[in-house]
Amino acid sequence: MADEYKIDESVYYTKEHEWAKKNEDGTVSVGVDDYAQGQLHEIVYVELPEMNAEVAQAEALGAVESVKAVSDMYSPIGGKVVAINEELLDSPDKINTDPYGEGWIAKIEPTNLEGDLANLMDAAAYTEYLKTL
Amino acid sequence: MPVWYEGIQAEHGAVRDSCGIFDTCHMGRTWATGPDVERFLNYIVTNNVSKLEPNGGMYTVMCKSSGGIVDDLIVYKINDEKYWVVYNASGREKDFKWLKKNSKDFNVKLEDVSDTYAMIAVQGPKAQEVMQKITAKNLDEIERFNLAELTISGYDVIAARTGYTGEDGFEIYVPDCPVDSPEKAMKIWTDLIGAGATPCGLGARDSLRLEAGLWLYGSDIDESINPLEAGLRWTVKLKKPGYFIGNRAIQKMKDEGIKKTLVGIMLDERGIPRHGYPILNMEEEEIGVVTSGGHSPTLGVGIAMAYVPPEYKKKGTELYVKVRKRNLKGKIVKHRPFYDDSVYGWKRDK
Repeated sequence: MADEYKIDESVYYTKEHEWAKKNEDGTVSVGVDDYAQGQLHEIVYVELPEMNAEVAQAEALGAVESVKAVSDMYSPIGGKVVAINEELLDSPDKINTDPYGEGWIAKIEPTNLEGDLANLMDAAAYTEYLKTL
Repeated sequence: MPVWYEGIQAEHGAVRDSCGIFDTCHMGRTWATGPDVERFLNYIVTNNVSKLEPNGGMYTVMCKSSGGIVDDLIVYKINDEKYWVVYNASGREKDFKWLKKNSKDFNVKLEDVSDTYAMIAVQGPKAQEVMQKITAKNLDEIERFNLAELTISGYDVIAARTGYTGEDGFEIYVPDCPVDSPEKAMKIWTDLIGAGATPCGLGARDSLRLEAGLWLYGSDIDESINPLEAGLRWTVKLKKPGYFIGNRAIQKMKDEGIKKTLVGIMLDERGIPRHGYPILNMEEEEIGVVTSGGHSPTLGVGIAMAYVPPEYKKKGTELYVKVRKRNLKGKIVKHRPFYDDSVYGWKRDK
């Protein structure tokens, strides 16, 4: 099963299939992973967070909707929303085609990055986790 | 039927632009025969079955004596003593029991053939063109809502010119094709694909019927809803001869007026309305609830059917759909169908 999904080696994962990636400017990009987009299938709408919103780790950040279902998205790390991917409003399917790249949902200025990352899985741990699903 | 084969939106598009096929074997099919069959059906359903010519069909509902809808269905007349009754999958056992229970005083025979007749829907502006490749019968001869016997892929079948997508098309009923030995239906299915049809799943079936403003039993109509509330007044013939189940209750509702009515809503803002989401007026007071909703692939916006008090039913009335935590602005629109029927659907300009 794990072989079916693309895994980005450079990001951290939650059990709920969000990802977080450290950027060079100190912000963290977040999105949903390949498993999540595959389960949802054709994504037709993304509810983006508000700019400057303060979120705690595991707090609701937005939602991703396919034709058939809604899936809440929880923030993999805590901090302040400093960018949102408005491209997704017109092309939500970018999450399907490039979940770790053009399908990023928001950028967060973290408040406790190392502490939060310790609660997430790296690619190796996530690969093992996928095998249990 | 799976939710999708290749993808809901592609399958949806195939039916709106070309031709899609659906495996609808799950639906209910019953032969009603006997000298009293016309009188029996007129007792059961709200529409006037006596208006049917041989090979003609009509959409109708059947109600409880409370006026609540047992199911919606299509009744086809073969001849004076033989009718073909097609109803929802969800009603397969319930409807047949209901028909059976109410047939005691009539000389009729009811035969549930849901498990021995396969059923395939061929839908879309190119449905006729596709089907014509595998039958010698001139399909121009079958009018909307009529049925005919014909031979497809070498098998004798019945085909009715109807469907659940808003598009032109046919439902093919394949006799002697039981669930555990479906070779005939599989051959027809394969030949239809060879002739240009796209296999479609339940997801597209639902988004297509929603865009057409067609009712889904269990969501938009059920035993707590009467046909006047559901916008099905046109299927109720209160003045037809004799008594039919529900007519007193429906007459009473007509006299007293209804308190809610089914409307179509189109969102002005981005978002997807779904079953159960509240409808609010401009004062943000809850006035109703979405019964069917979703993203319209054809229109590219969120659309919904919802029950609201009749004072809100006027086209253009503004309201909110509460989509999760946000109140999204929308307005009442024409919804049977939601799309422009000169561009899409079976009435489209040729």
